Amino acid sequence: MNKTEYDYIIEIENVSKTFTGGVEAVRDFSAKIRRQQVVVIMGPSGSGKSTLLRCLNGLETPDNGAIVVDGIPLDDDKHHRLEIRKEVGMVFQSFNLFPHLTVLENVNLAQMRVRKKDKAAATQRSTELLQMVGIADKVNAYPAQLSGGQQQRVAIARALAMAPKVMLFDEPTSALDPEMINEVLDVMKVLARSGMTMVVVTHEMGFAREVSDWVIFMDGGQIVETGTPECIFTNPQEERTQRFLSQIL
Amino acid sequence: MFTRKPKFRPIDAVLILLCLAAGVYVAYRVKYGLEYRSDWGAIPQFLFHRDPATGRWVPNYLLQGLVTTLKLSFWATLPALGMGLVVALFRTSRNLFLRMVGRTYVELIRNLPPLVLIFIFYFFVIDQLMPLLGIEAFIRSRSIGAQTVLAILFAEKSLFVQFVSGVLTLAFFEGAYMAEIIRAGIESIERGQREAAYSLGLSWADEMRFVVLPQVVKRVLPALANEFINTIKYSAIASIVSIQELTFMGRQVVVATRYIFETWITVAALYMVLTLSLSLATGGLERTLRTSD
Ligand SMILES: Nc1ncnc2c1ncn2[C@@H]1O[C@H](COP(=O)(O)OP(=O)(O)O)[C@@H](O)[C@H]1O
Ligand SMILES: [Mg+2]
Repeated sequence: MNKTEYDYIIEIENVSKTFTGGVEAVRDFSAKIRRQQVVVIMGPSGSGKSTLLRCLNGLETPDNGAIVVDGIPLDDDKHHRLEIRKEVGMVFQSFNLFPHLTVLENVNLAQMRVRKKDKAAATQRSTELLQMVGIADKVNAYPAQLSGGQQQRVAIARALAMAPKVMLFDEPTSALDPEMINEVLDVMKVLARSGMTMVVVTHEMGFAREVSDWVIFMDGGQIVETGTPECIFTNPQEERTQRFLSQIL
Repeated sequence: MFTRKPKFRPIDAVLILLCLAAGVYVAYRVKYGLEYRSDWGAIPQFLFHRDPATGRWVPNYLLQGLVTTLKLSFWATLPALGMGLVVALFRTSRNLFLRMVGRTYVELIRNLPPLVLIFIFYFFVIDQLMPLLGIEAFIRSRSIGAQTVLAILFAEKSLFVQFVSGVLTLAFFEGAYMAEIIRAGIESIERGQREAAYSLGLSWADEMRFVVLPQVVKRVLPALANEFINTIKYSAIASIVSIQELTFMGRQVVVATRYIFETWITVAALYMVLTLSLSLATGGLERTLRTSD
């Protein structure tokens, strides 16, 4: 099979995940994501959005079902998992920058250790990325010296430094003060328009309307409704979707 | 942080009086009850004495013992740290077998009296490990110059094997405590840090080396420095296997002179000077680390 001709970059088939303690976070979930698509996942808190996203790069292991990323099955094979970790970037709600490293070192680390670039090459790429996210003047600062919005933009640059094929975002703006949300969303919009495949858990309707190709509405670990942002936001079919949308608007 | 001003209350006066009374009573019992004739003037000669050959003042038994205590603790701390790191990595590993090995070691050490451990382990080391490592032959084959350096850093030729065995025993023992400190440090690192490292594709070793351990070091350094002080205290049990550290020397002086109180109080004071000054230094270290955040 020729990888580049492979239509779907992520295939999720009947994935279930139950945590010890009996919480069924994801239930028999299936979806396929095409290259260069931007998918937004919405749903009430506890509906399994994070768990689903974390299954996609192996941070959680599903109990059942199959996940294939870029033609590579996410199974017990260490090489498969490593390959997928390299190709899938992740941005967390709480940024998770490395506090003991400078901004530049944060972005350089994986390039040097995983992609085996030398420092000069890594620094060059990092500088470009930091410029793109608007942090070029803070390369030598430590994360604690940055605002939340700046930290999240560095985190995006750090994930992009691995040149991933897919980017996962788990509520990237939920921990931010309102005045900083847009600076992060703007970076994400640029990224979306550049053709990056993105799976974004967010409740930012504006972002979803502007750049997403389709929206998945989740509840209880399952898909309740899915469609283009127009369909979902202007004409939701399911009662649960309507109720949720009326709450966040 | 808010601090309360110390306030002197009537109850404090009563407590101070009680303490003084207890002190006087003990002194009285010692003087009359025990018929013990104290002679503090005899002690300084065991700290320093005049070398009859050169006529210079050189350290005598008690100070020599203090130096040996310090050397013993210092050299034991290095392998203990290495051992502690490895065992801490075992204990936080995903591999059940490694976790069990780590756990067994730590529980074994922490649930046996140190004295019993030192008997078992010291004789194993000196009987089996030392000949195997060829330490004896190693030291004898050194040049005179090298032997002198080794004597200054460790112990002189005749006591070398014994000293190294003591160091290893103490390290084996301390390793368990170091391991628990480092493990707590590793577990205190937020889960998100490791998830971010994982998501970036870092290997386990790189995740530890570049993300987790640098943060752990900063958090546990004061606790490890504190454990060094504990090592100094534990090193006293090495006297039982005739390593000539401070407690051993104290016993020798007591046996020779029968100045029981003077000698042991002096020994205690020497330990205090060492541990208290280290403890103050640790406090300073803790403050510097905190302000650098
Ligand atoms: N590590 C875990 N252990 C046990 N239960 C968990 C764990 N992570 C999530 N859950 C549970 O799984 C459900 C889905 O959680 P999550 O995927 O975080 O939802 P969302 O991101 O949509 O808020 C919740 O009920 C949550 O309590
Ligand atoms: Mg979540």
